[in-house]
Amino acid sequence: MIGRHPFFPKKRRREPPVPARVETGRSRLLITGALFSAAFLVVTGRLIGVTMFVEKSQPQYSRTVGKAAFKTGRANIVDRNGNLLATSLKTASLFANPRVMLDAREAVNKLAAVLPDLNSRLTYEKLTQDRSFIWLRRHLTPRQKYEVNKLGIPGLDFRDEERRVYPSAALASHILGHTDIDNRGLAGVERHFNQKLRESRTPLKLSIDIRVQHAMRKELAAAVREFRGIGAAGIVMDIRNGEVISIVSLPDFDPNRPSNIQPDTRFNRATLGVYEMGSTFKIFTTAMALDTGRISMRDGYDATHPIRIARFVIRDYHAKRRWLSVPEIFMYSSNIGSAKMALDVGIAGQRAFLQKVGILHPSPVEISEVGAPLIPPRWRKINAITISYGHGLSISPMQLVAGVGSMINGGIYHAPTFLKKPSGSKSIGRRVISAKTSDQIKRLFRLVVTKGTGSKAAADGYLVGGKTGTSEKVVGRHYKKKALISSFIGAFPMNAPRYVVFAMIDEPSGTKKTFSYATGGWVAAPVVGKVIARIGPLLGVRAIDEKAPEIVREMAIDIVTKKEGKRRLASF
Amino acid sequence: MIKRATLIWMFLATAAGIGLFVLKYKVKSMEGQLAAIHGKTLENLEAVHVLKAEWSYLNQPARLEDLGRRLLNLEPVKATQTIDIEDIPFRPVGASNGAARNSSLTNVRPPAADQVPPLFAKIRRKQ
Repeated sequence: MIGRHPFFPKKRRREPPVPARVETGRSRLLITGALFSAAFLVVTGRLIGVTMFVEKSQPQYSRTVGKAAFKTGRANIVDRNGNLLATSLKTASLFANPRVMLDAREAVNKLAAVLPDLNSRLTYEKLTQDRSFIWLRRHLTPRQKYEVNKLGIPGLDFRDEERRVYPSAALASHILGHTDIDNRGLAGVERHFNQKLRESRTPLKLSIDIRVQHAMRKELAAAVREFRGIGAAGIVMDIRNGEVISIVSLPDFDPNRPSNIQPDTRFNRATLGVYEMGSTFKIFTTAMALDTGRISMRDGYDATHPIRIARFVIRDYHAKRRWLSVPEIFMYSSNIGSAKMALDVGIAGQRAFLQKVGILHPSPVEISEVGAPLIPPRWRKINAITISYGHGLSISPMQLVAGVGSMINGGIYHAPTFLKKPSGSKSIGRRVISAKTSDQIKRLFRLVVTKGTGSKAAADGYLVGGKTGTSEKVVGRHYKKKALISSFIGAFPMNAPRYVVFAMIDEPSGTKKTFSYATGGWVAAPVVGKVIARIGPLLGVRAIDEKAPEIVREMAIDIVTKKEGKRRLASF
Repeated sequence: MIKRATLIWMFLATAAGIGLFVLKYKVKSMEGQLAAIHGKTLENLEAVHVLKAEWSYLNQPARLEDLGRRLLNLEPVKATQTIDIEDIPFRPVGASNGAARNSSLTNVRPPAADQVPPLFAKIRRKQ
């Protein structure tokens, strides 16, 4: 057909012969035709594709609107219930271009009227430099921006910036930390998760409960005021998964004003400070001794005479001068009894046990302000003795809380965390003592509050248990008399412990009301009691009748008062 | 015949051209609207963001506690003020028919003394 077309006249050449030449022409035409058809097919296919199917390269307005979320340069931080703890707000920052500025002196005078705390002399120097960009003031308020705009000074302009804002101010300052003027995290979780906060849009959910945080901070502050302490620390931890519900260190600071932070308020007593914890260590000593199976709750030690070793004399604060059973040693906080208990287990056993419950390593919490424990370089007999009642080994309160949690939650150590674990997830942890030992420690905890040194921690209905701790502060190479670290570590409800509550007052002084005692039982135990009474309902812990027979039976301890003598059943 | 067909084709081509023109402008104006709505949405989201910050500022526990104490005479809940749901008594038998369910709260009578469980009774005495 194509051959006959008038546009393709038959060529009149002699050679080569006609049929062959026609054949060549036809096959060439065929190939060309096929190529063109293929090209048209591609175009047709593309046309159909473009008109009928949605492709990724197309602008999709209808979809972008749905996705267009407001994005800040730094993700929010929220508490476990979604309350905002840190967010970024847009602000305007004022800068100047001195090269286009007409009259620097007039500009300074006008600006000084709007921004009264502007340094006029310095600003004038800045505005007379030969530069094209100079910051005058970062993060103006909307009102200030309006006022500056109204001045109409040429050469001034604004740049949109973001500013980190902490709506709850100082409430969670030590855990949140703060950022610098360019929104880089400088402390706390802001620093630890700096990269994540910058890249992510989803808020960082902490394990902190802002209400519990408030209760703890308020009660601690009241205690510091009452006993004229220099500081305090408080922690509430969920012992089933290691989530830290509240962590307070006093004095604290306002992270909204990073430039005004006093250096001493930055110090985080709950995680960075390491202290000799005193008698609260007897929890570990007792659990360790009971768990080895070497002694039982019916056994005891002779605490008649002080222990003399090297140049030291180990005495009891509440001396009974007789044989004491294990519950009595715990209840009366006997140093002599604890020392003998530790020696029974041995130096290696003690060290291995403390290693297991996280005492010999810095706490694994997610902030940078974590203190490393101070461990004696050589662990001798004298060290084993002093460590048994909490001296000669300094740890942070966070380490203590996590360790004690594992003593009463059935014997499982959970690493403490500041991040909320996904609901429904189960924390695995690792077993450190048997469930039986843990049950005995639970009863001992309750005993301290019903009969021992921690009676002021009682909060009716929440079955509080715990252990007091008082130690003298080490200053240089000596203990500083009258400078105490008074603490109480409590837990509730003791029949099924769920939360550990710790309070520590730094250098408290006794008052008339406490008969000038400033020990853990007088100073820190009431704080724990008040905090538990306040947070019990918030955390959904069911109040129980502490006198109910089944509860009494669950907490009962067989107290032996004489070596192989008559025993009495304590019923409280 | 050929002329008629040509006319029809010309008409169709013109109609398609005009249609396309109208459609294109319609789409363009809608895109403009969409962009405006988009911008407005972002603006509102930003406002919501600021309001959320303000909301949590106003909801600081310390402030709420102070307001509650001063203005509402509220205090933290005590353990003795809570009871278990099982301890709440059922409505007396006489009042539990359909009529009572539809009626207002005025028809609800407090439980008789012998129906009050021990814990509940204790709280009542305290009041």
